[in-house]
Amino acid sequence: MPPNPRIGSHDHATLSRFDPLSRIICLDDFDRGFCGWTQLVGNYEDDLDAMLPGYAQHSSPMLSTIGNWDSGSHGGVDGDYVLKIATPPRAGAQNVAIKRLTFRQPGPIRLEAYVTFKPEASELRLSETDIRSFGFLFDLQGSDQAGPGSERVMPHVRFLNASDGKHVQKWQFKRQAVPIVPIGTDNKTISHYHLAPDGWEDLEGGEQRLCYNEIPTKINWHYLRFDFDLAAMQCTHFQCNDRVFDVSGFDSLRIPAMKNLWCMLNIAFFAETDTDKRAFLYLDSVCLSGDF
Amino acid sequence: MRMSTTAIVTRNLDWSDAATSEPYEAGWAETALIFVRALRPAVGKPGRAHVEISPDGMRWVREGTSFDLPAERDAITFARVSQFGNWLRLACDFEEGSSVRVLVTLHLKS
Repeated sequence: MPPNPRIGSHDHATLSRFDPLSRIICLDDFDRGFCGWTQLVGNYEDDLDAMLPGYAQHSSPMLSTIGNWDSGSHGGVDGDYVLKIATPPRAGAQNVAIKRLTFRQPGPIRLEAYVTFKPEASELRLSETDIRSFGFLFDLQGSDQAGPGSERVMPHVRFLNASDGKHVQKWQFKRQAVPIVPIGTDNKTISHYHLAPDGWEDLEGGEQRLCYNEIPTKINWHYLRFDFDLAAMQCTHFQCNDRVFDVSGFDSLRIPAMKNLWCMLNIAFFAETDTDKRAFLYLDSVCLSGDF
Repeated sequence: MRMSTTAIVTRNLDWSDAATSEPYEAGWAETALIFVRALRPAVGKPGRAHVEISPDGMRWVREGTSFDLPAERDAITFARVSQFGNWLRLACDFEEGSSVRVLVTLHLKS
């Protein structure tokens, strides 16, 4: 059977929206389903009560057409479905979706995504300060052959949209480790809620006014690109739409390597609400590529 | 291949009074199976669960399917629904002073 030219052209168009490195590790267009994205569940042993409260609030992501009460389905960049990460309706609540991989070569990788955010349209007002933040992180650990200095490295990036009702609009990173809590009695599991509100630092020159359309049911998609070198464990590029930011001051949360996470390559996106209203982060598509 | 997924919409929460699961979008799915597992023995009288649907994820109406919530630890009750549009959630009602700790899972299939 000859190749379906429509499928080919669609794949080409999807990839053309990205600037990937030489090898595509994954190209997740949520018109195809969940593509391996799931909820970030917290660690526990014996009893779910052992799960830290930050994780206990997480729930499963969903496939959404971004259906609005006043205008119907909004859809994605080029299809009907997007991945939706929704927080509970409680100020400070968060939710996280994650994809879990390992890497085969410690070298440059590139994360690209088309994303947007909006609070639940439960009020007839702009609501531009109802979402506190959205962002993404990697959870990485070097090879089991990397030697005694190996670390677990977690670059975090968030767009602090609003804080206590103030429209802040700036990019931040986090390098300050959070307390590590032993879980259970077998000395095999720990937990740390690295998305806790403490410890975020401003990215130099990281103020950015994004397109936030004029009523709560209109959205516009934003392009994100984040480059990271798995050999040096350093960020090398961060971009949102037309803005490329200086990452010379960027650093990651770093903790000693754990005994069972070698070559881990996890990617997560998160949303956080600033009010007692659900915050929604939508992912149209995500491309992870590597130079190998 | 048909698409399916399992979504955990409520985990390890005590349900009482008129608690609900968080809204879940499932417009791509033709059928849904909703399981409720009791993680602990219920307190007081067992509650009743009601499947709810919505035009917008904010305003809810009962779909018509109701079932008893589980009362014993690790007991499971469930409901099957179809033609639910886009939004699904589970609502419950309990007599005053009654509750149960639940795990609510949606099993969706295109």
